[in-house]
Amino acid sequence: KQWYQREYGVPVQKSPRFYPTEDCKTPLKNRRVVKPTKLRGSIVPGSVVILLAGSHRGKRVVVLKQLPSGLLLVTGPYKINGVPLRRVDQTYVIATSTKVELPALPAIGDEIFKRKGKPTKNEKEMFVDNAGDNSYKISAEKVALQKEIDALVVPAVKKVDMLQSYLRSRFTLTKGQFPHEMKF
Amino acid sequence: MLYKRYIEIGRVCFIRLGDDIGKSGVIVDLVDQKHLLIDGPDGIGRKVLRLNQVALTDIKINIPRGCKTKTVRTAMAKEGVEAKLAATSLVKKFAAKNAKAQLGDFARFKNRVAKTASNRKIRSTVRKLKKSS
Repeated sequence: KQWYQREYGVPVQKSPRFYPTEDCKTPLKNRRVVKPTKLRGSIVPGSVVILLAGSHRGKRVVVLKQLPSGLLLVTGPYKINGVPLRRVDQTYVIATSTKVELPALPAIGDEIFKRKGKPTKNEKEMFVDNAGDNSYKISAEKVALQKEIDALVVPAVKKVDMLQSYLRSRFTLTKGQFPHEMKF
Repeated sequence: MLYKRYIEIGRVCFIRLGDDIGKSGVIVDLVDQKHLLIDGPDGIGRKVLRLNQVALTDIKINIPRGCKTKTVRTAMAKEGVEAKLAATSLVKKFAAKNAKAQLGDFARFKNRVAKTASNRKIRSTVRKLKKSS
């Protein structure tokens, strides 16, 4: 056989033309997979939950679902105890064993909770005091969505005896009560 | 007589402290001034307990000192100790306390509302009676 008829292999990856004089360590590849936060087994869509922090602390609210961000979507319902559609982290919550049977709810995501960023000032306006309308106003879309959700959740709450007054009341600790010894 | 319930062989005790809380056993022997040898049904077996871990009941059975577990159990069955125990206030109170601790938040709320309502009724009735008298 002639040289041009012989079979020979070609490397798939050629060795590089330049390489460093000293061997240096290459960092390990990041194989992290972003997963949604694991929800406590005691928290299910429809479970009644006690808020532990924020202006609504002590209030008992209904969990609607877990959002893609990992936070819980929660509502009072607004008609019952004034807690609107709100996001809450599961660590700031005590789950009770009470569950409400929720009907099918409209899809809600994290987008409606996104706030508009503060307006950036250019150099001229930097020292001008803008005591203007930078306060947060609830959008009409949110109000409508709240009404829609309330119309679905409130009847489900009213079906259970005394559940409405339970949600209206706040959780408090009295003498001799210790949360780590209590069953929720 | 000042004392009615004695620490004696055959005295049925209710265990109020420790791992076996809520269970009951029979005094089989005395170890020293502060310790008892207690034996009972499957749940508790034969063990040494301190005097303060234990509360005496009114029930006493006839067993010889240091007798075997089998003897104790047959004697307990013969005297119907289990039924008698269920009627004692110690056992009843412990069961009630346990049940209360197992209540959830919603149940506690309902109990509280019921209690307030009944207390209101009682107070208003008492006031009416006081007024009329």
